[in-house]
Amino acid sequence: MLQFVNVTLNGLVQGMIFAAFALALVLIWRSTRIVNFAQGSMAAATTFIALAIIQAGQSYWVALVVALLSGFLIGAVIERVVIRPVEGGPELNAVIVTLGLFVAIQALIAIVFGSSFQSFTTPFGLRGFTFGDTTILLTPNSLYVIGAVLVTMLALIALFRFTRVGLAMRASAFGQEVARLLGVRVGRMLTLGWGLAAVVGSLSGLLIAGGGLVYPAYMDVIIVSGFVAAVLGGLDSPIGAVVGGLLLGLVLSYVAGYLSPALVNMSALAILVVVLLVRPGGLFSSSTARRA
Amino acid sequence: MTRSSRRLTRLLAAATVTSALAACGGGGDGGGGGGGGENEASDIGVTADTIRIGSHYPLTGVAAPGYSEIPTGAQCYFEFVNDAGGVYDRQIEFIYRDDAYNPTQTVQVVNELVLQDEIFAMMGGLGTPTHRAVLDFLNGEGVPDLFVASGSLLWDNPEEYPYTFGWQPDYEIEGKFIGNYIAENFPDARVGLFLQDDDFGEDGRAGLEGYIEDQIVAVETYVPGNTDVGPQIAALQAAGADLVVSFSVPSYTALGQLAALRLGYQPQWFYSNVGSDPTLVGSLLANFSEGAVSDASLLDGAITTEYIPTVDQTDNPWVQLWQRVWDECSTAEGELTNFRIYGMNQAYTTVQALQAAGQNPTRDGLVAAVEQAGGDFQGSWYAPFRYSADRHAGISGMQVSRITGNTSEELTPVLITDNGEDVDIEESDNEPTTPPEDGIPDVEPVE
Repeated sequence: MLQFVNVTLNGLVQGMIFAAFALALVLIWRSTRIVNFAQGSMAAATTFIALAIIQAGQSYWVALVVALLSGFLIGAVIERVVIRPVEGGPELNAVIVTLGLFVAIQALIAIVFGSSFQSFTTPFGLRGFTFGDTTILLTPNSLYVIGAVLVTMLALIALFRFTRVGLAMRASAFGQEVARLLGVRVGRMLTLGWGLAAVVGSLSGLLIAGGGLVYPAYMDVIIVSGFVAAVLGGLDSPIGAVVGGLLLGLVLSYVAGYLSPALVNMSALAILVVVLLVRPGGLFSSSTARRA
Repeated sequence: MTRSSRRLTRLLAAATVTSALAACGGGGDGGGGGGGGENEASDIGVTADTIRIGSHYPLTGVAAPGYSEIPTGAQCYFEFVNDAGGVYDRQIEFIYRDDAYNPTQTVQVVNELVLQDEIFAMMGGLGTPTHRAVLDFLNGEGVPDLFVASGSLLWDNPEEYPYTFGWQPDYEIEGKFIGNYIAENFPDARVGLFLQDDDFGEDGRAGLEGYIEDQIVAVETYVPGNTDVGPQIAALQAAGADLVVSFSVPSYTALGQLAALRLGYQPQWFYSNVGSDPTLVGSLLANFSEGAVSDASLLDGAITTEYIPTVDQTDNPWVQLWQRVWDECSTAEGELTNFRIYGMNQAYTTVQALQAAGQNPTRDGLVAAVEQAGGDFQGSWYAPFRYSADRHAGISGMQVSRITGNTSEELTPVLITDNGEDVDIEESDNEPTTPPEDGIPDVEPVE
């Protein structure tokens, strides 16, 4: 019983981490209609910036703010400099460019920060809560992760649903020409979309890193799971991303705890294939017909 | 995603460290005596004044912590020998490449080493899954594959792989030592196993089961690359294991410790040699603040095995030699570590093998020399190699010790055994050896 509780809690926290990454993918998809494969590397880059700040003696929270800001900058600059020239062409071009960025940024991190493993601190404790003399696999840090992801999700929903900027971002992603005719400054919206997505990505990078080990490729494992989570949820819906992440986290944790850890990655991909076959639009997709 | 990560690894391969040791220092008698005559280019990778050795290591990725330091130690020892004139007046060129602990990449870099760099022999290629991928290729090409840096039983198979030799005690005999110790000292323990999901874990388990099969209550594995080991540690805890034997690489030792910390799970840990370096695991966990982890204390009290003197034994003459080599080395950065000492030991053994192969070595001659003379190679290792024409197995003995802070205290004398359940464990009667005055071995060439 205790094992079931612990494996479930482990799955929930892992799932929230996948969800954090999936949220960043959803954001960039909603605001630019591009799947950004470089998201993981960009998040790793800002995590290493944060690590450098922490190692220089600053607090976690200073590092967090700097990482998010630098994430915004990196995202915006990449959009302006690298993505803009291929925008408007076939969608595949931009996707391939992000693949190239994925590799290049990771190599750059290794050059700047070295490729060794380092532990990443957390602002909260790493010991599980205890009830009587049993300790469960839920730490103060887990609660921080869960809280941060839920807040981010709500903020994204609010942004897209209730603000003019959110509406303008969706309009520019959906149909550039039409949006332009309606007075939306499409270029700025695309840059903003990339910047914000990179902020969320940076947050996910820090949440994943906290209380664990980081190295330039530490996001690689999360990237696969994050994509599966985002696709599960329909790539379009923040709630879908979170639910998709949780589902995936639970399934993978049960597989590792009760079947075999060797099957974890295979299970993630099997779930992806099944979802794409049965519900190509994802579990929460509402806009399969809306393709501009 | 696979495609993109493959591209990544290619790119990282471009950053591969290639190091050829500069030829400095002149003549001198570094060879093992003997010989007259001229130095000749007697085989691929050998010229009148150089001999080229290659290897592969994880310099990046999940297995890099610790293991990426091994080649720096080996390189410094080769430099030390070169400065004293080399082997038979040949300078040793040591070329190593990064495979990121990824077998696909190992195949690629070993191809480059053999076909493009034209190495004479391999030395100390690291890793079970990685080196297994190049075993057929190296033996097919007839490249001596000395002293694989892994304790898998695969390397001791002279009929199928006549060019390959193990070096460290294999995981099966290590499992036997650990199992025997538990049976004698923790006869009532409920034992859980935490194993890497390949030969490393499997061989260790095979050795353990001969002694404590009825004590094992849970067996959990991890796959390198997947860093979430929470479910496995939770399963060990749920099974009520109060002693956990872990055949893990250092980064997974740290991850397992972190997961156990989250769960408030405090069994007696028993780590196989490769994953137990307290300094490294401590430094991996060093950034956790808030009093959650204080450096190496997590491993305090854990039990492990040893087969060569470690860096904390500063009054051991071998460790003093390694310190001297490290201090004099032009490429040395940072402190001497146990991983660097491991690399130096392997390089030391390689120099012995080259000396035994004679003035104008051939690849087949090198293999024959190790088979003939290798059992008598003297070094810092606690027990002799098991090399012969029929066996290519490495060091035959270990001692069990307990980690206290950054050092360890011995719990047993040096024990020796061999593979198979019917071979008993005995106390070794070998006297501790001391290094030669000039720090360079002096092995007679075999006939």
